[in-house]
Amino acid sequence: MAGETPPSHRRDSIKQTVGNAAVQRRRQLAVSVAKERREAMFRTKRLCMEGISMNLEAATNGEKMIDEEPPVLESQTSKAVEELKLAVSFKGKDAVQNKVNALRELRRLLSRSGFPFVEVALKSGAIPLLAQCLSFGSEDEQVLEAAWCLTNIAAGTPEQTNALLPTLPLLIAHLGEKSSLSVSEQCAWALGNVAGESDELRDLLISQGALIPLAKMMVPDNGSTVRTAAWALSNLIKGPDPDAATELIKVDGVVDAILRHLKKSDIELATEVSWVVVYLSALSDVATSVLMRTDIVQILVDRLAASNNLQSIIPLLRSLGNLMSGDAYTTNVVLDPGHEITDSIIRSLSKCLKSEHRFLKKEAAWVLSNIAAGSVAHKQLICKSEAVSLLLQLLAGAPFDIKKEVAYVLGNLCVAPADGLGRPSLLLDHLVSFVRNGCLCGFIDLVSPADLEAARIGLHFIELVLRGMPNGEGQKLVEKAGGIDAIEQFQFHENDDLRMMAGLLVDSYFGETYGLDE
Amino acid sequence: MEWNPQTLQFLSQCFLDTLSPQPEPRRRAEKNLSDAADTSNYGLAVLRLVAEPSVDEQIRQSAAVNFKNHLKTRWVPSSATPISDAEKEQIKQLIVPLMLSASPKIQAQLSEALAVIGNHDFPKLWPALLPELKSNLETALNASDFASVNGILATVNSLFKKFRHQYKSDPILLDLKYCLDNFAAPLLSTVESISVKINAAAALAATLRQLIEAQRLCCRIFYSLNYLDLPEFFEDNADKWMSQFKNYLTMRYPAVEDSGADGLALVDELRAAVCDNISHYMEKEEELFQKYLSGFVEAVWSLLVVASASPSRERLTVTAIKFLTIVSTSVHHALFAGDEILQQITQSIVIPNVMLRDEDEELFEMNYVEFIRRDMEGSDLDTRRRIACELLKGIAGNYKDKITERVSAQIHNCLALFAENPAANWKYKDCAIYLVVSLATKKAGGASVSTDLVDVESFFRSVIVPELQGQDVNAFPMLKAGALKFFTMFRVLIPKPIAMALLGDVVRFLSSDVNVVHSYAASCIEKLLLVKDNGVQSRYTSLDIGPMLLVLMTNLFGALEKPESEENQYIMRCIMRVLQIADISPEVASPCITGLTTVLNRVCENPKNPVFNHCLFEAIATLVRRACEKNPSLVPAFETCLLPSLQMILAKEVTEFFPYAFQLLAQLVDLNRPPVPPHYMQIFDILLTPDLWDKSANVPALVRLLQSFLQQAPNELNRDGRLRNVLGIFNKLVSKPSTEEQGFHVLNPIIENLGYDVMAEYMSHIWSSLFTRLQNSKTPRLVRCLIILMSLFLVKHGIQTLIDSINSVQANLFHLILEQIWIPNLKTITGNTEVKLSAVASTKLLCESPLLLDPAAEKLWGNLLDGIVTLLSQPEEERVEDEPEVPDFGEATGYQATFVRLHNAGKKEEDPLKEIRDPKHFSVALLANLSAQFRGRFPPIIARYVSPANQAALLQLCNSYNLTIA
Repeated sequence: MAGETPPSHRRDSIKQTVGNAAVQRRRQLAVSVAKERREAMFRTKRLCMEGISMNLEAATNGEKMIDEEPPVLESQTSKAVEELKLAVSFKGKDAVQNKVNALRELRRLLSRSGFPFVEVALKSGAIPLLAQCLSFGSEDEQVLEAAWCLTNIAAGTPEQTNALLPTLPLLIAHLGEKSSLSVSEQCAWALGNVAGESDELRDLLISQGALIPLAKMMVPDNGSTVRTAAWALSNLIKGPDPDAATELIKVDGVVDAILRHLKKSDIELATEVSWVVVYLSALSDVATSVLMRTDIVQILVDRLAASNNLQSIIPLLRSLGNLMSGDAYTTNVVLDPGHEITDSIIRSLSKCLKSEHRFLKKEAAWVLSNIAAGSVAHKQLICKSEAVSLLLQLLAGAPFDIKKEVAYVLGNLCVAPADGLGRPSLLLDHLVSFVRNGCLCGFIDLVSPADLEAARIGLHFIELVLRGMPNGEGQKLVEKAGGIDAIEQFQFHENDDLRMMAGLLVDSYFGETYGLDE
Repeated sequence: MEWNPQTLQFLSQCFLDTLSPQPEPRRRAEKNLSDAADTSNYGLAVLRLVAEPSVDEQIRQSAAVNFKNHLKTRWVPSSATPISDAEKEQIKQLIVPLMLSASPKIQAQLSEALAVIGNHDFPKLWPALLPELKSNLETALNASDFASVNGILATVNSLFKKFRHQYKSDPILLDLKYCLDNFAAPLLSTVESISVKINAAAALAATLRQLIEAQRLCCRIFYSLNYLDLPEFFEDNADKWMSQFKNYLTMRYPAVEDSGADGLALVDELRAAVCDNISHYMEKEEELFQKYLSGFVEAVWSLLVVASASPSRERLTVTAIKFLTIVSTSVHHALFAGDEILQQITQSIVIPNVMLRDEDEELFEMNYVEFIRRDMEGSDLDTRRRIACELLKGIAGNYKDKITERVSAQIHNCLALFAENPAANWKYKDCAIYLVVSLATKKAGGASVSTDLVDVESFFRSVIVPELQGQDVNAFPMLKAGALKFFTMFRVLIPKPIAMALLGDVVRFLSSDVNVVHSYAASCIEKLLLVKDNGVQSRYTSLDIGPMLLVLMTNLFGALEKPESEENQYIMRCIMRVLQIADISPEVASPCITGLTTVLNRVCENPKNPVFNHCLFEAIATLVRRACEKNPSLVPAFETCLLPSLQMILAKEVTEFFPYAFQLLAQLVDLNRPPVPPHYMQIFDILLTPDLWDKSANVPALVRLLQSFLQQAPNELNRDGRLRNVLGIFNKLVSKPSTEEQGFHVLNPIIENLGYDVMAEYMSHIWSSLFTRLQNSKTPRLVRCLIILMSLFLVKHGIQTLIDSINSVQANLFHLILEQIWIPNLKTITGNTEVKLSAVASTKLLCESPLLLDPAAEKLWGNLLDGIVTLLSQPEEERVEDEPEVPDFGEATGYQATFVRLHNAGKKEEDPLKEIRDPKHFSVALLANLSAQFRGRFPPIIARYVSPANQAALLQLCNSYNLTIA
């Protein structure tokens, strides 16, 4: 009534600002400026060194790699282009065989991993000639060799990849059902290299209609073709524009094919297909919801349990994490805490947390943080598993980026999902047990101006400790771990959110009463 | 505004006049400019003036400043009078070349202006900027035009700073990607080309200076681009970058460095920027960085050993030690594990940096405020003394015992050296004290600490107490300050008897002529008075300070007379604290109020230090409250003292103090018995001036004062149309969401204290303005306030009066309001008094109003009961959802004082229903009574309309009061 009644929003303003963010599912950001390590190694562009053809013995005939000196090879390359030029203009008998021979020689030179003489070939004018060799009605063998040359040119530098521009419509045209399997596969490979180069080239390929024929190539059970098509598709749809992913999921038969290959195929093929799933689930909500209506999570989890190698585990983890962060259904229904599948995924993730590879640890922690954002039962299940002790170890001693992911998991485990009124509550037994095991120092280390998200999760956890630890023990623990200094770093920071949070924490828990009643 | 000779003439004259020492032409020019600023193309015209070579440089500078400020307030599209898109485009086209060709001072302003635009428009809305800067940079580099190079780099640096303080998100990463695509490669080639030029320019000091500054800017840009993530380009080119960085840490540039302190500082700034970069890599990209680590540790180490031994070079030392600290807490901490290394660290790095320097002594003497801020208040994170201690703490994370052992030995050592020759070696003792205080761990409750380094009590006895007992309060002031600081920091650990024995000494130090010393003495006393045992019980009470109160207050007021301490906030805070705690006898009260009023009159001349002023007003409010409550006969004397000052604040329009003055006046009005003396009634009339209510900071204080008047002198309202004026204010406040609640605070006391006959003629108007607001913008707060108002009206003036009064606006309106506003939102009421009031009023309505007892209204009746039960049975946090506060941008006009509540001038919350103790009991009893009259009528209605949970809650309520509803 009287003027001194504090405004009605006074209640627990600190909970509003601090507590909640700990229980969010997090999607990987679509944009990245960092090097895509895993892909730079195995994926983006591939040189084709051995023929993919099955029915052309000639391709592997007398193909010894000769150790000539680079200058020699260089002149051989320009000579090979000259030969090709002659062969293309030659109209007589054996014209086709001439062209094939010239192409084969050029391809042989372009397939050398150490010194692919792409630059020389381009300068000598190879592209228009290769484009001619792709023209409709040409012999399969000729098209195949030409596409192979283009594949390896496209595997080069960005400028070299861009040189393929005039040939793209033809390469796409040869993907069609009328081409032989080996031709379409080789063309897919060339296109995959192009798509791996840049957003602009991806957009161009999509506008020229590359998506649907590539998608159709995934449908049959032909291992090699499917693998190449899947790889090319994963390059083609990887965004940042989500439209391609949405379009892909709508192509007839694609969903079934994905599931079938994931379930039944050999590890290499399954790996390529799971990369397609990675991009589908990362970019497109439509694709995610289509996939969610299938048993894909079960399939991925089974695969994960059976996998031991880094290359195949990474896309499985990434897909699972994406599916969980994109749609609460995954965690809430498919990964019901009572189902065996949930135990299985937690076991597999624990295995990854123990791995040598930092990337696996980081990725596994991210997936786990999304499960940990689920129901209280999920949180209890994780806390009963061996994952917790692994997480606590990682928080204490892992490199920064892993620590940060682990912090999200542990933070999520301490907070129950929001009730109907939008306010999450503390899971005290989890918090107390983590803190007793010494996790507070790890969180306080994260409170550094070097990384703002890490600082935020660190401050959130400090707030939980201050608010939640019994008998007001939180204050002493935070003090002892040097928490006050850590918080104070943000009292004048330019980031509004962190500054406000730090201010609130200091005022609410460490400040002095200004007015002081008697 | 068109660009022509007249405009040029007009603007030039205005800007010239703004520099005039005469207030008259200056004000007129400022007014003209601020009017002109509203016309379109004003910004463009000013920018053209800046570019006009024929105009005097001084005028152009002042125009450049004006231009920058103009953009600051008007570039954002959401500002009240935004710059048009067309004008913006033209400004964007002109500004880069103008900036590059401008003289340094104008360039600095335009660069800032550009950054202002960049904050909003870059990169998406200004795609031409970065390519333009890039190509200009290339041209300038090729032409060896390093002034332009630095101008461009400085601009890029300020544009990219935004990557350093935002959370990672797709939009910000897209912006970053754009900047990287356009600028990562040019940045590297710039660095490499400047590096070549540096080698070539080795002897040309002037050029070299520009080049070194350019490299520094490049390093800062590197930092911004690498902050969020490690970009691919930088990973791929790490070798090149790291070799550049290492170069600047290891190379010397004698032509610049040896040319004087500023030359050395310039090179050190570059090295410091390098240290920031490698620290960042060490912290976040440890995997990439590890192969460079040992080389950098070596380089930084060598640099530090030299820098630590020299005076100045603070910034370099701080960043370099920060780097080592990060390494010491990383997985590579073993680099520092060796005994020899640890010894070197303490001896060659830590001790030399903790030891006082000449510049510390200078700061101590010349700028005590800054010294205290760093030394005592934790703003020393960037000082070499503090960062040296951070390094020790970092190493101690892994090697605690070794560090404790070494530092203890060093402390011992320092004290031994001091003992040999105290007069000559006093700095060693200071060093020992500093180490103990800085290495202590901070604890809750402000600034108390603990330590493992020494036994606090014995260190205190043997090292600190002798200083505090020193008879000359001005001798060795830095040691005295250190001792007082130690006492303050460890106050919780010093047993009360020991502390009490020293309190007289601390009071004595208040009379020191050294500003830091008397400030620390005041701060020590103030903090001691705040010490609580077991978190609740104050350790020091009025009994403890009683015996020395007079000398304490005398010394405190005496300190305010010392040069430069006239507005010493530590002293004033201590005065405030003592007045809150001490028993104030009239003998103390009278000199205190005189002293405080004198200070008040002085600061009114020119209010400078807001903290000091706040403590001053708080001290006055405390004194008034505590002295007058105990001894009402003091009131007239206090009034005699204070009223002239407060009236002067109003008369001279010291607007900063208005909110305080109104709060103090309200306090004085409350202390008077009715009738309120006539001199207050003049203030009442001032209070009704509408202008005062325009400033948001005044409003809560004015409301507070108005309430006091309404309660103390309700009948005065009837005279001279005052009520009409008050209601005008209510209308104004309630019309805006930001002040609606204050509006109710004005209205409620009227409803509560005036008879209905007086306000009847206004009620219909009041209701209709409220309901109009409700229709136009219904905020949850407005709804709550309205329910409370109606409840208050109901309990004060009766149900039927309320219903009739609302229905007089429109037939059947009450029914509608009840159904759509009151019942659905009843459960959102918060606050004990408010819940009680609205529950009681609702129950009365439920049980006593014919409207609701009408059998046709049974649904309404049921719903209202349901709402009442929710309100009474559920705790606040379960009933109410948090609502985000909507910021209000509407009223930023000119200078704004801020409203700060005076804790001691507050009003006790009045309960309008004192006669009802338990609202639950009251409500249930009323209900039980009703059901006894209409036996059997209500249970079916309850079963139908009250939720099952609430039925159970109602049953439980009945049981607990042994009542039944049948």
